Amino acid sequence: MNAVTPHALLRKEDQRLITGTGQFSADAKATGMLYGHVIRSTHAHARITRLDLSAVLSTVGVRQVLTAQDVQAAGFADLPNVLQVKDPQGQPQTVCNMPVLAHDKVLYVGQPIAWVVADTALQAQDAAEVAQIDYDTLDVVVTFEDATAPGAVQLHAQAPGNTSVKFEAGDRAAVDAAFAKAHFVSDIAIESQRLVGSPMEPRAVWAWHDETKGVTHVHTPTQGVGGMARFLAQITRWPHESMEVHTHDVGGSFGLRSTAYSEHLLVMLSTRELKKPVRWVGSRSEVFVSDWHGRALRLHGHIALDAQGHILAMRFENQVDVGAYNVYFSTHIGARNLSITMGGAYQVPALHMSSHIYFTNTVPVSSYRGAGRPDIAYAIDRLIDHAAHQHGLDGLTIRRKNFIPPQAFPYTTANKTVYDSGQFESVMDHAIGLSEPAGFAQRRADALQRGCLLGRGLAYYLEASGPGGAAKDQVRGSFDAQGVLSLHALTGASGQGHETSFAQIIENEIGLPTSAVRYLAGEPEQGLVGNGTGGSRTLYGAGSAIKNLCQQLMTQAKPAIAALWTCSEADIAHAKGEWQEAGGAKRRLRFADWITSLGAQAAEVHAVGEATSGVTFPNGCHIAEVEIHIATGVAEVAHYWAVDDVGLVISPEQVLGQVQGGVVQGMGQAFGEHAIYDRETGQLLTGSYMDYPMPRAGGLVRHFHHETHAVHTGLNLLGSKGVGESGCSGSLPALANAVTDALRQVGAPPIDMPFTPAKLWAAILASPHKP
Amino acid sequence: MKLTLKLNGTPRSADVPERTLLADLLRDTFGMTGTHVGCDTTQCGCCTVHVDGQAVKSCTMLAVQADGCTVTTIEGLGANGLHPLQQAFSQCHGLQCGFCTPGMVMASVDLLRRNPKPTPAQIAEGLSGNLCRCTGYVNIIRAVQQASQAMQGDAP
Repeated sequence: MNAVTPHALLRKEDQRLITGTGQFSADAKATGMLYGHVIRSTHAHARITRLDLSAVLSTVGVRQVLTAQDVQAAGFADLPNVLQVKDPQGQPQTVCNMPVLAHDKVLYVGQPIAWVVADTALQAQDAAEVAQIDYDTLDVVVTFEDATAPGAVQLHAQAPGNTSVKFEAGDRAAVDAAFAKAHFVSDIAIESQRLVGSPMEPRAVWAWHDETKGVTHVHTPTQGVGGMARFLAQITRWPHESMEVHTHDVGGSFGLRSTAYSEHLLVMLSTRELKKPVRWVGSRSEVFVSDWHGRALRLHGHIALDAQGHILAMRFENQVDVGAYNVYFSTHIGARNLSITMGGAYQVPALHMSSHIYFTNTVPVSSYRGAGRPDIAYAIDRLIDHAAHQHGLDGLTIRRKNFIPPQAFPYTTANKTVYDSGQFESVMDHAIGLSEPAGFAQRRADALQRGCLLGRGLAYYLEASGPGGAAKDQVRGSFDAQGVLSLHALTGASGQGHETSFAQIIENEIGLPTSAVRYLAGEPEQGLVGNGTGGSRTLYGAGSAIKNLCQQLMTQAKPAIAALWTCSEADIAHAKGEWQEAGGAKRRLRFADWITSLGAQAAEVHAVGEATSGVTFPNGCHIAEVEIHIATGVAEVAHYWAVDDVGLVISPEQVLGQVQGGVVQGMGQAFGEHAIYDRETGQLLTGSYMDYPMPRAGGLVRHFHHETHAVHTGLNLLGSKGVGESGCSGSLPALANAVTDALRQVGAPPIDMPFTPAKLWAAILASPHKP
Repeated sequence: MKLTLKLNGTPRSADVPERTLLADLLRDTFGMTGTHVGCDTTQCGCCTVHVDGQAVKSCTMLAVQADGCTVTTIEGLGANGLHPLQQAFSQCHGLQCGFCTPGMVMASVDLLRRNPKPTPAQIAEGLSGNLCRCTGYVNIIRAVQQASQAMQGDAP
């Protein structure tokens, strides 16, 4: 049937993934494997008055039942909160950690209460049905207004007003002074609504315990085995050397796979106690109420301008919903990631931000693609557009007047972030040049003929990439007798194509063909340090370590080549993948041929490359034209143009793929996705793909054009800035500005995401000039 | 309950509980783990296989309903090498994490069987029952177009 001879595939990963021979965590089977199932809370806020699992334990096939007491007896800690901040008075944030299993109280629907292990997954699931749990239900808070109202029910005794902290950054007095003398002021409140991250592979974990070595092997999707191992050791309080984390193929992560969840700990505890492999695979319905949620942020932006349109100050008042507990990166998002680039790509002399971090009876929030970066980018460029429109100014002119100019780098922002590089106006002009601005009026008129309102929106985003948890990134490289280079590092891919782009760096640096490079993520016995994939940093973090590795390999090779040619090292140089002799016979030798000629001795050529790489500042200009069907409110992106400065590009196809995927995730948020909780009961109303509108093929974007505009960064050895989160950061403000522009034609005021057909239709219907 | 089917060209038998889903039969009993399960409401399409030549979401069909049928999974698709769709998905960068890919490819094969020369809009419509979180679908649609041309004998 139409089979063809296989030839060049684009990525090294693809062969196994297109033939169904990838190795995802739920694919594994082991002899004697047992299966775990989580009993979850069906109430959003309640005291557990009775937990009787005797019937569960006596069900056919059941091997074990665990509750909070068992987890406590094992000495497990609660799930960690990564960053703790202080309020302006110096009081530390109130941190309320989530227990592995709920003790006597549950705080959200889906919270794990008990754990059943049985011979088959269906037996475990069936047994869970006969659990006897009585709840004494309490009032529920799922909104900021309800959570912080006087007399509101309190989730945690130690957190009055359901407040974790009121964090501030920047200079309040300077901002107040700037507003006092401003010619124009404007403000707009935006919401970056709660989302469900939804990697296509549901979360899964299986583990087995090697009795002889005393090591528990944990197989699970991660963004890097190092970070997961650190969290597991921290929670179990087991020695690091008593566990190894293994990650194979990962079906998407988007921030959700960087941390340890209750199920990881329960599988580990069970496998040690039962001396059998134990597996848990989440159903989609389960992970909707147990994968950490994303976003859940409200930002109220204020801007002060002088009479010429120069920005004098910006202020943001934020409400940061972290859900029921402080887990992992929620404070990092609400405090660090929102504030660090709060002036965007603009020269803003005074900046101030406050973040009210509060609790609700909802799934805890942690990282989701961008983790605060798209949200602040959205707020900044909505604010600029809004101010320009409100005061009859031109949005492009305001941006031009206020961009940090190329000659100002390194540039220290008013809140002390140092940006290294950027050509913001050139990047914007590049994007405008692509976007056929002259034809817009005609396109708008044509759209109206078809019964559609066409709006155009532009946004300039700038984001700070992830600092990383480990101080440096290391990569080990060693050759086999065939001259194949094996690379080991800790960072694991979940679609980013590390195996391909790392091999491309090797090819660029020493001319070894990509077919002769093999990347293995996470080999615990290698004893390497490094970061996982996250915060757009892997390419330049691990990539810089790979470049350093290449430099070391060249240093090792040079004397050997000189000896081979019986010439001085000074007479040979390396260029374009080959050694060249300056004088004499002008001999040439490719690195690949040299290493192959060594045969078994190639194993003696090895090194550990390493690099310390700081935070970078990817930025770009995105322009969208959105068409809203007047009669139905259905929106479609007619055109999307994006120009991104991601620094040095290694793999153009994969950069494009990251931008396309990120932009469409942004479209998902802009046009539909929303984790909606019922205000009275705290039930998740959008708990499946039938209610939660994931972006689907078609109906999204008719024309998509992307180019890069590389500005070299000296912040890392490689010169790249990262691309993973750019698509989300650029698309939210560009799409929202376009929708606002479309609605403006009929006099409708700005509305907030998600721009669902119902909301757009209602906005048009209520507008003063509806067609 | 006993059943027999032809799986990727080979007759196979099993004795499974009546409530066993086809997806679980393929994965757990026959080890065909290329068929992925991404949801429990028949929305994501990761589990798409062919039953008697038609694309089916195997999480929503009982294993016993496939008794006597011919079932093809991603592992059986390119028996003599890669199918043009598999090749096109790679060459057009139509996959990133690869979890949705087997289902996406199996759905696309059926789409091109029914409509050998689809327009981009018809491809999007035809694949609207398959979710992808990574690619934004842009390159998936390109891949199906390329495969369509290749299968017509045109230069891609």
